[in-house]
Parts: sequence; C-alpha cells; structure tokens
Amino acid sequence: MLLNFKNLLDQLPGALVQGMIWGVLAIGVSITYKILDVADLTVDGSFCTGGAVFVVLLTRGSNLWLAMAGALLAGMLAGLVTGLFHVSFHISALLAGILTQLALWAVNLIIMGKPNLALSVRNYDLLVSLRYLQDVVKGDRPFYASPLVVLALFIAAVIGLLYWFFGTELGMAIRATGSNIQMAKAQGINTRLTKVLGLMLSNGLVALSGAILTQYQGFADINMGRGAIIIGLAAVIIGEALFSRIFRNFALRLTSAVIGSAIYFSVIQTILWMRLDANYLKLLTALLVAVFLAIPHWRESLRALPFKRNGA
Amino acid sequence: MNKALRLITVLLVCAMSIGLAACTSGTQKEKAGQSFTVGISQLIQHAALDAATAGFKDALTEELGDLVYFDFQNAQGDPNTCASIANGFVASKVDLIMANATPALQAAAAATADIPVLGTSITEYGVALDIADFDGLVGGNVSGTSDLAPLDRQAEIVHLLFPDVKTVGLLYCSGEANSLYQVRTVQGYLEGYGYRCLNFPFTDSNDLAAVTTSAVSQVDVIYVPTDNTVASNTGIVDHICRPARVPVVAGEQGICAGCGVVALSIDYYDLGYATGKMACDILTGKADIRQMPIQYAPNFKHLYNPEICEELGIQVPSNYEAIAD
Repeated sequence: MLLNFKNLLDQLPGALVQGMIWGVLAIGVSITYKILDVADLTVDGSFCTGGAVFVVLLTRGSNLWLAMAGALLAGMLAGLVTGLFHVSFHISALLAGILTQLALWAVNLIIMGKPNLALSVRNYDLLVSLRYLQDVVKGDRPFYASPLVVLALFIAAVIGLLYWFFGTELGMAIRATGSNIQMAKAQGINTRLTKVLGLMLSNGLVALSGAILTQYQGFADINMGRGAIIIGLAAVIIGEALFSRIFRNFALRLTSAVIGSAIYFSVIQTILWMRLDANYLKLLTALLVAVFLAIPHWRESLRALPFKRNGA
Repeated sequence: MNKALRLITVLLVCAMSIGLAACTSGTQKEKAGQSFTVGISQLIQHAALDAATAGFKDALTEELGDLVYFDFQNAQGDPNTCASIANGFVASKVDLIMANATPALQAAAAATADIPVLGTSITEYGVALDIADFDGLVGGNVSGTSDLAPLDRQAEIVHLLFPDVKTVGLLYCSGEANSLYQVRTVQGYLEGYGYRCLNFPFTDSNDLAAVTTSAVSQVDVIYVPTDNTVASNTGIVDHICRPARVPVVAGEQGICAGCGVVALSIDYYDLGYATGKMACDILTGKADIRQMPIQYAPNFKHLYNPEICEELGIQVPSNYEAIAD
C-alpha cells in the first residue's frame, strides 16, 4: 500500500549485514563451484551443523572464538565425509553431497537435542546481533563495533588467509585440479587429496557462516540450511555476472561472491519492503537469479551489434 | 574497463528507476492523530497460524479501528527470512511487533530491546527465548500467548476412550521444536496410565507415509501433537490409519478434522484475539509489557470427527462436539 523510500534505506544496513554473513558461505561455495568445479550439496546440512555446534558449545560455557573454531572444524568434518564418499566410494560429487546432507539432518538433531535452539543476546556477548545495528544508530554502541564493520574485518581476514593459502603449492594444486584434472594428474598432483581438501575447506567456511548467522538472528534451527546452496550459488553467480570483467585478481573474485550475496539480500529486503504478496517471494528470487545468469550472454550479444564497433 | 563501468551504471539506473516507480505509487503515511503501525511476522501459511493472525487483527481493529495499520509479512517457512522481516520492522520503527511461531519470535527478540514484541502460537517461552527458571513473565519488551494445550488432559482423553489398549504411537515431525516438547511431556502422562509409548519421528512430508505405515503395524492408538507438518498432510495419515483401523488422537482441531477421531483443541483464532487485546493495552498505554505475563488459551474444545468415529465404531462422550465439514 504505502511505501516509504526512507524506510527502505533504513532497512538496507541490516540486509547488507545478512548478505555479508551469507557471503562467508558464498566464499565456501565458490571454492567448490568455481575453483574445484563441483556442485557440492553438503552445504544445506553443514550450514546448520555450524550453527548447532556453535550454540551448543557457547551455551555450555565455551569461549566465543573457540565455539566458532568448533563450528569450523565440524563443517570441515562434514566436507571430509562428502570427500570420502566421492573419492573412496566413487560416488559422483553431486550424489555424495546429497548423501551427507541427508545424514547431517540426523547429526544436527543429535547435536542440538531438539529442532530449534535459542541463543539469547541478553545472555551472551556476541560477535554480531540484529540488535547491535540499532544500538549503533541510537549511539549505545561505537560505530567500530557495528556488525557492518566487524563483518567487513572478519571477511577481509578470511579472504586474506584464503589468498595466501591458494598461493601455496597445496592451494595451487587444488586450483589446478579444478581447472584441468587430467593435466593436474600428469603433473603428479594427488587429485583425490586435493578434492577432499577443497570440500573440507568449503564446508568449514559454510559452517562458520552458519555460526555467525545463529548469533545474528538469535537461534539455530534444523531448517536453517534448507536452500542454503541456492543462496550460495545465487551469490556466486550474481557476483560473477557483475564483476568477472573488473575483478581479475583471485582475492577480488572471492570478494565478488560476498558482494553478490549482499545484492541478493538487499533485493529480498526490497521485496519484503514492497509488501508484495509473500507468496511471490521465491518466484521473484528465482527471476532475479535468472536475470543475473543471463547478463553475460546479453552483454555478448550487445557487443555483437554493429553500431558498437564504431564506438570503440 | 569502460564497458564494465557503463554496465554498472546502466544497472544502477535500472535499480533506481524501479525504486522510484515503486515510490511514486505511494505517499508518506499520514500522521493524523495518534495512529499505530503493527508489524506481523508469521513463519508460514498454515490454517492454525493464519487463524491466530486473523484473531489478532480483529481484536485490534475492533478497538482501534482505522488508527491501526498492519504490515503483514510471511517468511514462507524459511526461518532465516524471519531475520530479514525483523530487521525491516525495527528499521522502519513500527510501534509493535507480533511474532507468529517460534523462529519469528526469536528473530524479533534479537532485533530489538525497545519495540514491544508479542508472540503467539509459541509453545514454551522459556525454551524459545533461552530463559533459565522461566516463571511465566519474560520481562523486557517481550510477552505474548502460548498455544500449549493441557497435555495431562490429552493423555486423560486417550485413557478415557481407549482404556484397554497397550501401545500408543507418538507421530511427529523431528524438525519441529513444538512437537518434540509436547511428545516428551505427553509421553510421561501416558506412561503414568500404564501405556507403552513408541516414538515415530519423521523428517518431512516425503517420509511421513513410510513412518506412519511402520507405526500402524506396531501400535494400537496414535497420538499426534500440534504438528505443522501433519496438519498440512492429514490425508496421508488418514489413508494409512483408517484402513489399518488405528485411531488417531489429535492435539488440534485441523488435524482431528483431517485424520483424527477426537481432539482437545485450543482455538487459534481466540489465541490470536487474546494477543490482539494485549497489543491494544500496550499501544494505548493501559499496560506495561514488562509486567505482562504469558497468557494461555482461554478455553478448550472437546471435538470428534463423526465420519471416522463411526467407521471405527468409537463412541464418544456426549460433551464432545462434532467437527463440521
């Protein structure tokens, strides 16, 4: 009915924060999807595993960073299982991911003990929370403790570490495996090992993202990972469609996935703000991703038009 | 490089024009007199939750008329969208948030410490909000209504209608916190009557049929709590239980209408209505949310499904009301 544009502007910081949290997942997805050239569906399970392990550890008295490390390790373990299904059982990577995802439903229930675990910001000092954003606006929290700043620093650190790692011999071997597996084998790379490592790294990041989201929204839920892979792929694809020509550097390419994720959640927030019938939310999301998928092709056909040549 | 910049410019212009077009279709909300904006965040479309939202709106509209404006948002079953919705409500400074179902309440409670938040269709606030020693008062900016049916009386109904059977199967979705809580509680009461209880958790609607089939082969009676997944798939349960002549005792009216024989049900419309009354008192300054304890459903209805009862030859006491089709 009535739309207030300023309202949307007020809502965007929250959407950006959510986008950055899912951006960590998107970085993980881009490791499998872009670098290893594998569509890994473990994500839907390992995302929740991260949140579950984090809440359980934190509420049992663990330090916040230890709990985050625990989530990271649990996610890597999930990736290890998918990797072993793939290279030792010779199950296709897609199916291996699906199998682990199925198994993780039960594992996550066992970790949490019930389908939904609350994590109240009243009881714990958290890295990020929905509430902190408003606290900064009201002046109760310094701007450098805003979730936007904290997450930007966190993501910069993650990307820095990955940039370093993928520059080492082992990291290069993982990238070579994804680019050309025959050539990589010919160079004496153990491609079974590199695939498993890539899957572990990816799912570790996905679980870390789940742990941060749990803090932000105040709960871990067994259904929180449902469709996570779709959001992750959408973020990677949006980022690539927009920045693949500008961002040549490896670290910048990982950043483009985070920006893609931020765009995705800004659009979701806009759809919610427009108060369209909620039934259309998923439809519009699908259309959005389809448009971004088409952008590279449209760009190509635009370039092929005759009048363009004269301009250049 | 230039082309890429041009592309980004084009995209930005597109995005802004969409924004502007959307903008011109509406004008600034008129602030004539004292008016209220109430944000409603509902987890999923579902008969019970929809009824609670309807009751909530009716109660507020009856008291405040045109002075209250509703911003209704539905998360489509995705708990993560509840955070986006809560963020939107808090950023646009609504006067009150009504959160329908557990993740909606958790996200709203995480998002604000100032805007009053009323929950509804929440089974246990202490569990949902991580409060130790919960005594019925959440405190702070959160209160609401609970949909907890009296589980001791649910067990009593099973005992009243089926005193001679041995085994009761508890059928519920393993992904629903509300169901697990009820199943664990009611199991204690049922075992108090000497029944043997078997749990039949299923993952989602895809394996509901398989789990139900396994249940009817092992038990004499099935109990289903206020489970959202069963509520949306009563046909599956009915098609397996009726031919096997295993009666289903339901925790809620909708499930009883679809596949149950009897239910002691709360009315979600009444529950939402009670929540709306609380909202009214808060908005008009008659009550302080910090001192409002959680309220429970005002009354319960004994219901029976005449068609299934007749087919299975089950006699219900005269104070039971038949569910109309």
